[in-house]
Amino acid sequence: MSISAGTATPKLEIGSATKRKHRTLWGDAWVQFRRNRLAVLGLTLIVLIVVGVLAGPFLYPVDPKQINILEASAPPSMAHPFGTDDLGRDMLARCIYGGRISLSVGMAAMLIAMLVGSTVGLLAGYVSKLDNVLMRFTDMMLTLPQIPLLLVAMSLFRDPLRMRFGLEAGAFLMVVTIIGIFGWMPTARMVRGSVLSLKRKEFVEAAVNVGVHSSSIMWRHILPNTMAIIIVAATLSVASAILTESTLSFLGLGFPPDVPTWGSLLYENRNYMVKAPWMVMFPGILISVTILAINFMGDGLRDALDPRQRQ
Amino acid sequence: MIRYIARRVALAIPVLLGILFITFILNRLIPGDPCRAMLGEKATDEVCDAFFKRYGLDQPPVIQFGYYLGRVVTGDLGDSMRFGRPVTQMLMERLPVTIELALLSLLVATIFGVILGVIAAYWQNSPVDVFTMIFANLGVSIPVFVLGLLSAYLFAVVLKDTPFALPPSGRLTAGVRVQPIAVAWGMPDLGGPARGLLDFLSQMYVINGLLTWNWRLFADAARHLILPVLVLSTIPMSVIARMTRSSLLEVMSLDYMRTARAKGLNESNVVFRHAMRNALLPVVTVVGLSLGGLLSGAVLTETIFGLTGVGRTMFDAISSRDYGVIQGFTLVIAFTYVVVNLLVDISYAILDPRIRLG
Repeated sequence: MSISAGTATPKLEIGSATKRKHRTLWGDAWVQFRRNRLAVLGLTLIVLIVVGVLAGPFLYPVDPKQINILEASAPPSMAHPFGTDDLGRDMLARCIYGGRISLSVGMAAMLIAMLVGSTVGLLAGYVSKLDNVLMRFTDMMLTLPQIPLLLVAMSLFRDPLRMRFGLEAGAFLMVVTIIGIFGWMPTARMVRGSVLSLKRKEFVEAAVNVGVHSSSIMWRHILPNTMAIIIVAATLSVASAILTESTLSFLGLGFPPDVPTWGSLLYENRNYMVKAPWMVMFPGILISVTILAINFMGDGLRDALDPRQRQ
Repeated sequence: MIRYIARRVALAIPVLLGILFITFILNRLIPGDPCRAMLGEKATDEVCDAFFKRYGLDQPPVIQFGYYLGRVVTGDLGDSMRFGRPVTQMLMERLPVTIELALLSLLVATIFGVILGVIAAYWQNSPVDVFTMIFANLGVSIPVFVLGLLSAYLFAVVLKDTPFALPPSGRLTAGVRVQPIAVAWGMPDLGGPARGLLDFLSQMYVINGLLTWNWRLFADAARHLILPVLVLSTIPMSVIARMTRSSLLEVMSLDYMRTARAKGLNESNVVFRHAMRNALLPVVTVVGLSLGGLLSGAVLTETIFGLTGVGRTMFDAISSRDYGVIQGFTLVIAFTYVVVNLLVDISYAILDPRIRLG
């Protein structure tokens, strides 16, 4: 009896230990994230918007370019939930199509911004000799007023790119590149700050002492540890890229007029605001809600992934 | 202190040179031949040779950059080919409009942002706090132009015949007269820099109205500025409110706050004399950094509300490819920005000794 009891007790302990869920960084972050109601709301809205924009054309098969003068500037109705514009084109279809472009510009510009931002941040943080130069440059880029410079850059590069890559692809490439180039600075600063503190950690010292090459310390030991920060920065940078794209389009400098994006819909329709406010209202609300949702989610992610900022 | 200032100024010099260099190569980046871009396709070779000589374009780039620097230092920013006027002259007219708009917006944003932030921090997690933070989040998420269009619609269309109606565009109602300040003060013959300064101020109609006791001008100009200022101040106000809240919360949890309360100081003394002094330091930086956003926002706000400021001029110049104006205005905007940031840095060091000693 006593022997069997003695063997049973450790078994029980093992049983309960395996039952308890293994805690991971991401699992932990998810638990933390779910506690933040605004962040969950943001995530839900984003999922809804992304699904709506992707599945929209199948659920709502209306051609966004179909002109119907007889129904021009019609207010929202069952046939046209968002109303129609001055040429009788369906606003909902145009908003869905425009959302595809706005969101893909946001994602693509974010990728460029993250690539440049984390490279600069990593180099500045790890290589002391480069720190001052790179951060001066980052500060300079940050201090320059963006929109006037974006306008200048757009006006300079628009025509050559359009000639080379065609009207739509050229515009896409240029908008994305320019937004990305002007959007990497906050990421670089955040990554640098994190690298500076990681650099002094024991595991990095250990790697240095066993003779690991600098580039592989940066790539394999430091970069993975900055992922949390990069993810937060990426989220927030999608929001600012969408905002910048809509701003450029609103100023008539983004995509060509026949390509609807949320910003260019506003730009095209702003003169009809008094007669047909829905032509401006819906794209405006869509932009605002998307950016708000992404910002909520980004704040939630930051709290969830960066334990130091938890309260 | 002086050493710190000297170091900051020295660090700003390369940035300023960088900006000069960028605006210098702007003209080189124009697709095609600069002569034909400036003078039109029909310019003959002789005309172009003369053009190259006149602007020193037949010289090596380094010497051209030297010429460019020399011209900028003497205040010659080239001509607008669209209006055939010196860019400097246009700047003197339009810069005041933007400065007036930006400074008023910054003032409104700072006052209300700090008040909101203090309220939110003091009653943390109360409905006031939640409301303020949602407002602050909305403020940074709604694009300036959406807010502009919607507020113009609300105040100029929906509320048209009510006392709340506000003009959606322009700077003055037709019929309101503007005089240069020098003329109103009975010194029409004044010349030199003093006159230049007065003329510069004259373009800020609110200030002009105040200085010349022209009540009608002041009231009308102020009414026209309400919507643009409201729109332009939303983003910095939200940022300042968030910053004030988080920085005040941080300070309030420190030991010296408990000491202050323990020794029996009253609550307003604790908050305003002990907490705020330290909590407002980061806010100063945010106020300074908002300036870039204000300049960017000014392009949109001025475009929506039909104000002829720097932003609007810049936008028009880009639409009409007026490279002289683009170059000159970019330079001035960037310069202003660097100088303001320098001033913010220095004021920050005056307020917080740890910065200059660290």
